Amino acid sequence: MNVPFRPIISALFRNRAGALLVAAQVAIALAVLVNAVYMVKQRVDLINRPTGIDVDNIFVVGVQGFTKDFDYRAMLDEDISWLRSIPGVIGVTATNSVPLSGGGSSDYFKLTPDAKTGGRDALVNYFHFNEQGADALGLNVIAGRWFTREEVQPPGGTLYAVYSGPIVVTKDYADRMFPKGDALGKVIYGSSSQPLTIIGIVDHMIGSWPVGVDYPTQIMYMAFEPAGPGTRYLVRTQPGLRDQLMRKVEAELGQRNVKRAVNYVRTLKLYQDRSYLTQRNMSIYLIVVTGLLMAITSFGIFALATFNVSTRTKQVGTRRAVGARRRDVVAHFLVENWLITTVGVFVGCVLALAAGHLLSLQYDLPRVDLYYIVGGVVVMWLVGLAAAWHPSRRAARISPALATRTV
Amino acid sequence: MLEMHNISKIFRADLIETHALRDFSLSVKGGEFVAVTGPSGSGKTTFLNVAGLLESFDTGRYLLDGADVSNLSDDERSRLRNEKIGFIFQGFNLIPDLNIYDNVDVPLRYRRMSAKERHERISSALDLVGLSSRTKHMPSQLSGGQQQRAAIARALAGDPKFLLADEPTGNLDSLMARQVLDLLEQINEMGTTIIMVTHDIELARRAERNVHVVDGQISDFKSFEARATESFATAGAR
Amino acid sequence: MIGYYFRLAFASFRRTPGLGILMVLAVAVGIGVCVVTLTYYHAISGNPIWWKGDQLYSVTLDNWDPREPADPSRPTLPPDQLTYRDAEHIWQSDIPKRTTIMYRGYGIISGDGLNGPLKPAPTTTRITTGAFFPMFDVPFEYGKGWSNNADVAPEPVVVISHELNQRLFGGTDSVGRTIRWNDTPFRIIGVLAEWDPQPKYYDLTTGNFNPAEDVYLPWKWGETLSIQSDGSSNCWKIQDVQTFQGLAQSECVWVQAWVELPNFIARSRMQSFLDNYTNAERKHGRFPRPQNNRLTDVDQWLKVNKVVTNDNRVLVGLAFAFLAVCLINTVGLLLAKFLNAAPLSGLRRALGASKKQLFLQHMVEVSTIAGAGAVLGLGLGALGLAGIRELYERTATSPHPSGVASLLYLNISSYLTAVTLAVVATFICGLYPAWRVGRLQPASYLKNQ
Repeated sequence: MNVPFRPIISALFRNRAGALLVAAQVAIALAVLVNAVYMVKQRVDLINRPTGIDVDNIFVVGVQGFTKDFDYRAMLDEDISWLRSIPGVIGVTATNSVPLSGGGSSDYFKLTPDAKTGGRDALVNYFHFNEQGADALGLNVIAGRWFTREEVQPPGGTLYAVYSGPIVVTKDYADRMFPKGDALGKVIYGSSSQPLTIIGIVDHMIGSWPVGVDYPTQIMYMAFEPAGPGTRYLVRTQPGLRDQLMRKVEAELGQRNVKRAVNYVRTLKLYQDRSYLTQRNMSIYLIVVTGLLMAITSFGIFALATFNVSTRTKQVGTRRAVGARRRDVVAHFLVENWLITTVGVFVGCVLALAAGHLLSLQYDLPRVDLYYIVGGVVVMWLVGLAAAWHPSRRAARISPALATRTV
Repeated sequence: MLEMHNISKIFRADLIETHALRDFSLSVKGGEFVAVTGPSGSGKTTFLNVAGLLESFDTGRYLLDGADVSNLSDDERSRLRNEKIGFIFQGFNLIPDLNIYDNVDVPLRYRRMSAKERHERISSALDLVGLSSRTKHMPSQLSGGQQQRAAIARALAGDPKFLLADEPTGNLDSLMARQVLDLLEQINEMGTTIIMVTHDIELARRAERNVHVVDGQISDFKSFEARATESFATAGAR
Repeated sequence: MIGYYFRLAFASFRRTPGLGILMVLAVAVGIGVCVVTLTYYHAISGNPIWWKGDQLYSVTLDNWDPREPADPSRPTLPPDQLTYRDAEHIWQSDIPKRTTIMYRGYGIISGDGLNGPLKPAPTTTRITTGAFFPMFDVPFEYGKGWSNNADVAPEPVVVISHELNQRLFGGTDSVGRTIRWNDTPFRIIGVLAEWDPQPKYYDLTTGNFNPAEDVYLPWKWGETLSIQSDGSSNCWKIQDVQTFQGLAQSECVWVQAWVELPNFIARSRMQSFLDNYTNAERKHGRFPRPQNNRLTDVDQWLKVNKVVTNDNRVLVGLAFAFLAVCLINTVGLLLAKFLNAAPLSGLRRALGASKKQLFLQHMVEVSTIAGAGAVLGLGLGALGLAGIRELYERTATSPHPSGVASLLYLNISSYLTAVTLAVVATFICGLYPAWRVGRLQPASYLKNQ
């Protein structure tokens, strides 16, 4: 195949406005593509992080006592034992807040009773769970043990009630407080200098705030019934039974005690989805807009190639008349187009890096990885080739006889 | 009256200069029918473009209808073109997606003219060229001769003093060519000055006066016996 | 003449309808994406009570830990809420025209509805002073709010939302009826008209786009019924917070306070009132941090609380990059189209059209394309907004549609956006191609076309 580069380049210079416009589109498209894909990747990674929780098989029941003579303790005992009696239920715990929901409690704890500030400034997200907490969430206890029934303390007067006793923590929190990895059995102290003893370590869990905090996996579990008069139960079922058991609970739980209302029965998945809603919507938006952008850009390349072919019909006929083969013509236009795309790609790389730099600077996003740019360049080249393919083929079909005709 | 004195027009492409017109002088009186002949590349079309104010020139003076148009702005030249000059082209140059009526309307649209007056002018111009029954036709629906007649109607609708024709019969067969030429003569007799560029000697013979251009200069001019009674212009060397 | 140009534009469109449609589509998609993004951005960054923007101020005092600020990532800010006792003190001041102190609670509604006993149902509740309603221009469908007296010696009166009234009483005038809130009887004295300001500027602690509450109770009922906050509470000091009384006396912040200050004088008087108060409290060992008492207007409040996130700004940037590509695309197409039709333009020049006239003719053609693109873009924008609403509503748990989704409809600003962008598009897309056409040498297009 004989591709005459020099004539192509000089032809490009003659229609440089059109070529530059397409190159500009390619440049912006590449910059957006690279950064958008990178941002989507970050979000998808965030959403798909392992939670450490058996999210798909858990549902949440919200109950609230409202009468004046309401006995909160009795309700807790009744409800929990009834829920546990349902066949297919693996574990039930009351909780002060729903994991993954975006709402919860956190506090600082100290390494010594008289320390002025929290140990290593590590905030921890804490949960009040009962003896089935680990089962109710599907947590993996990798060291020590979970609480026994006897260790679970009765509810305090308010949600801020002070707790003292055995605790279980996630490995992330344990390592933060005790970097040597010897957290098990250690005692830490609350703000009232009350002691808490680490009796177990859970390998991993995302707590109340999947997004928005820098300590999502630093969790502490206290053997504590949450304060009333309302609370939530986390119910974990055997795989596949969740929806069926939710309907049963919704229908029957309310009638068991008319002094309290069953506010809702929801899947834990709903809470998780809601927490990631912004991330997910942002990703969808980025994907849709980037997709449209690629479509528009490839259409722009297509239109320029078509225009170039149509204004050079006679020239192509002449080339054919003097002996150019069809594939020479195709190659001519593809190379011409490739040159345009490549100019755009080079400018686009600079733009992509600049945009990435700006985003990382202004919005604390990590800098875009270089191999995303390489991928973007390859994609743009392929898009350019694909968009120019059809017009080039059409050019190849121009008859050599055209050269002798006056148009 | 159209007077050109020592007009030069040079095209520059990179390092090569082409003298399309050099020291070109010509005077055409009102009501004349002048044919400009010459081999291809001689500068006849450049002459017509300069005469029709489509192109500027580098040196010399050009008086159109008594007014010096050498240093007019583009807008003023557009206005003069619109009001005083009608063009006829070899390729007819009708606008393909306007019908005949709207094609004739085009130059009138660039003047402040009431819809009624435009209508009257278009109708009479189409009448003159014998196309009153084809106003709604698109150019592609007409024969070559009809298209050229429509183009003539368009050139006449603005009531120009000068009609500039560039190979007006070049794309027509001999019968149609004769009809078009008859029409041009008829228009000339009604008082419009016609300058026609052609390479066809037979065609040129029908004009009152012939101007032969070679290498951007008028080489000589001669009368035709058939029109010996007409006075000759003194255009040329000065 | 303009009419003629429009006819020419139409004729030009008919010559190459495919190209015309594609250009309109490119402009439309660009404008559509911008309309969606800017409508969304406008919705989340809007001030829902802009007409009182210079009169309403959020009150914050820095009662926090001497060792560290309330929000270590933004150390200059005081906590975003007040302690119960400080809020009550501010309420005592007669400097503001009105003072609202409030927090969010949670209760169960029971009693008799239109058709017999109600199924006990949870409702979001705002425990607030009666100034809330006139201060935030809350509209009433039936009845009215309560007076200051009802707050001090709490009267068993309640105001309910339009939605709750629909649910309980089918939208009929329920003023005078009694409902039970956590088993305590309350007489309905007012029913709100539909009202759901977004963002929920007056209490951002439970989410920027949380719906307004369903039930409003007079302030002192909080203490009387020991209603704890259902919103966010933050504590730093080791204190007994086992009871409501303990909480109310603690350094925990969980109450929002807003004051209406009609002018600058009132504002500076209020500022000194706050400063004097905290100075006096310092003598009792409170407010250990440097003086940092703030009156923040609504606009500033929304900014400080980062209602508009960085993501949102990225989206706006992306939308404009997208529009740029669409417009560049259109410029390229127009250039191709106009230059393709150059012989016709040359002809018009020969027939006497001036450069200006040709330029205008082409600009009219471009503006027609941009105008059609804007109209279509608004349509696409409406579709896009419907899509985003769908994304939000799929995870909605509230019984009535609310939150940011309720704002995602085309509004005046969307139309303005579209019109502005169409004008901008006309100029960006049209100027260069139309200028190129004007510069053509007419003579070179007349021979042998």
